[in-house]
Amino acid sequence: VSRAELDRAILEWMREPLWSEDEERFDALAGALFAHQFECCLPYRRFCERRAATPVGAGGWRAIPPVPTGAFKELSLRCFPAERGIHTFRTSGTSTSRRGELHLDTLELYEASLLASFRRFLLPDLSPEHPQATILVLAASPAEARDSSLSHMFGVAIRELGAEGSRFFVEGDQLLGEDLLRALETAPEGHPLLLCGTAFAFVHLLDALEQSDARLSLPATARIMETGGFKGRSRVLPRPALYLALEERLGVPLERIVNQYGMTELGSQFYDTVLCEPAAPRRKLGPPWTRVRIVDPETGQDAAPDSVGTIVVYDLANTGSVLAIQTADLGRRVEDGFEVLGREPGAEARGCSIAADELLAGAGA
Amino acid sequence: LTPGEIRERLAELRQAGAELRQRPARRTLDALAQVLEGWSDAGSSWRRELEAELPGATGFSPETVREGLRLGLAHWKGEALRALAAREIGPLERPDAAQQPIIAGFDATAVLLAGSIPMPSLLALVAPLLLRSSVLAKSASRDPVTPRLVARSIAEVDAELGRCIEVVAFPGEDDERMGALLEASCIVASGSDETVASVRARAAPSQRLVTYGHRLSVAALGAAATASSVLEDTARRLALDVALWDQLGCLSPIAVYVEGEAAADAASEALASALAEVERRMPRGAIEPQAASLISHERARAELRAAAGEPVRLHASDGSAWTVVREAHREVLPAPLHRFVRVAPVADGAQLLNALAPLARHLAAVALDGFGSATPRLARDLAHLGASRICPPGTLQAPPMGWHHDGKGVLTPLARFADLELTP
Repeated sequence: VSRAELDRAILEWMREPLWSEDEERFDALAGALFAHQFECCLPYRRFCERRAATPVGAGGWRAIPPVPTGAFKELSLRCFPAERGIHTFRTSGTSTSRRGELHLDTLELYEASLLASFRRFLLPDLSPEHPQATILVLAASPAEARDSSLSHMFGVAIRELGAEGSRFFVEGDQLLGEDLLRALETAPEGHPLLLCGTAFAFVHLLDALEQSDARLSLPATARIMETGGFKGRSRVLPRPALYLALEERLGVPLERIVNQYGMTELGSQFYDTVLCEPAAPRRKLGPPWTRVRIVDPETGQDAAPDSVGTIVVYDLANTGSVLAIQTADLGRRVEDGFEVLGREPGAEARGCSIAADELLAGAGA
Repeated sequence: LTPGEIRERLAELRQAGAELRQRPARRTLDALAQVLEGWSDAGSSWRRELEAELPGATGFSPETVREGLRLGLAHWKGEALRALAAREIGPLERPDAAQQPIIAGFDATAVLLAGSIPMPSLLALVAPLLLRSSVLAKSASRDPVTPRLVARSIAEVDAELGRCIEVVAFPGEDDERMGALLEASCIVASGSDETVASVRARAAPSQRLVTYGHRLSVAALGAAATASSVLEDTARRLALDVALWDQLGCLSPIAVYVEGEAAADAASEALASALAEVERRMPRGAIEPQAASLISHERARAELRAAAGEPVRLHASDGSAWTVVREAHREVLPAPLHRFVRVAPVADGAQLLNALAPLARHLAAVALDGFGSATPRLARDLAHLGASRICPPGTLQAPPMGWHHDGKGVLTPLARFADLELTP
């Protein structure tokens, strides 16, 4: 199966109005995509061969070897000639640390995947009457942060789903607090309103609101999507505290605050289910062209139910790179989805050796 | 204890310290020397109790605890404490006392302990007492055992001295209790950069603040340490440095720099064999999923670098117990700890210094061997770079009691000096 055929088949799935969890379809496409990537990405092929994994092997999509996200910092994991690249997304990082790079020869799958997920997980109330939402973004625009996949995502969301007044509110690493407050205060009633951005930008917004002792009461149609962590930031706010503060200062109830789990190395993202399945427990789900395994890091096998393990993602949107990604995050199964587990706040180190991430913050890698 | 009760204990400790200072300094030194004699004796009831309790509290295997204490405390005897006192504060009784500076501890010292390795905790509790300062210690959440047993051992030897030490436990983020504890006039804080910074922000300028941050160590092997006749022995000693305390100490090497490409290949293989052997007799303890996940991640990264054609080789146990990655470059990469070590080639001492430059701010010790006549110069250069200890492989986990941890004295940072310039 050619790459063009694969892209077509996956795009077709992404553009279907109704989602179907079709295991057979996923397995067939994952198998064909793995065969293509095995063929076209030599380092990945050798990596798989070391693990005795080949496209003709049995085991279905679960047997496809995942590459660690860290590898994107040191290798060009692409399945097309470099000259065909049209865009590169880079992970965030300091000037001294290496940044992971995802090279793309098409943005079509990335955009189709994110739009379908936005509609399903963030804007399930879009209707013929309200086909668009006011999207206010607490992040830099793609013009300012060209290599940020997050900025690109928000840009596409505004382009395709944004009503008049949708815009970005971070410029030169500064939150345009006054503009944002004005936009929030004048947000039209009865119209879907999405406030989205990085968790750290929301902390800035909360600081600004606290300074002026302002409390807003956003319309009942408002919802918040926050993403990303606090790595490299001077101030850390645990997620429950962030959500409570958002509820208190913006008047958006907890059940309308959604965390997005995504990363530069992935073409698709995962979302809390609170908006699309309000009656069910909060958990993360992704689109049907993705699968998530929670893997026991000691054995590489699926972790026991309810056990904590490494999150491994299989994403058919990654046609130009590698579809199976071993993240650096821990998670746990929750029903048909999963939850992402951060480090325990306040957890003390077992030793006095410097933790790996502290070391890298100082030394860069 | 409530914050109010912590303040009450602090007041009682100040009073007990005042009484302690009424008696000859020699008695306190004798008592503490006797305490250390007990701790350095593997057959003592205190040691047996610590060896029995520490594995359950910290996750280290019993074998690791036993071997770590045996090596770490072997030379921490009473005489070592007397020598340390003599070196840093001079003779306790001086014939011409009128012209000597007065050296004393503060009325009370708050000690914030960190981590789960017992020797630093033992010394952190003994040092202020030697200066006749009372100690109010906050035990680390990872090791509630050591400070409790040390305090008890002191009370058993010298009840009056025992009244000068109290151990409390509360979460580090408990601001109110921390505030009460930090009212002591001298504060000793160990921990991550973040912990140390938060204590520093709360301490008043009038308070004495002594901090010990998280550090890392490395090893460097010259050609003479990797010759085939000695390589196995070198690797065995290095494996012990890596394996003890499951590589969680600031004296645990996270990387080994080897002179020459072929020697780096041979050293990584030898180190892998030695770590496998150590694992059989001294298994690594249980680790948390985050640590296991990082090990798995970094192993896969190494495999991909190898797959991409770099001269990288992964040597690893079946589970996560030990890992050696023979790296192609000297670049700093994540250190997952828990017996995960990288071996990188360097052409010479100059390249070694370049490789270590990014780590200088956090460097504790360098285990150095095999550089022949270049050794003294290289050791001086490493010290200038930031290392506070240069020692042979196999001894990293047995620092002398007087090691200038973080480049500081053991007693002097805790002391108040008063110079007497009296006219006769």
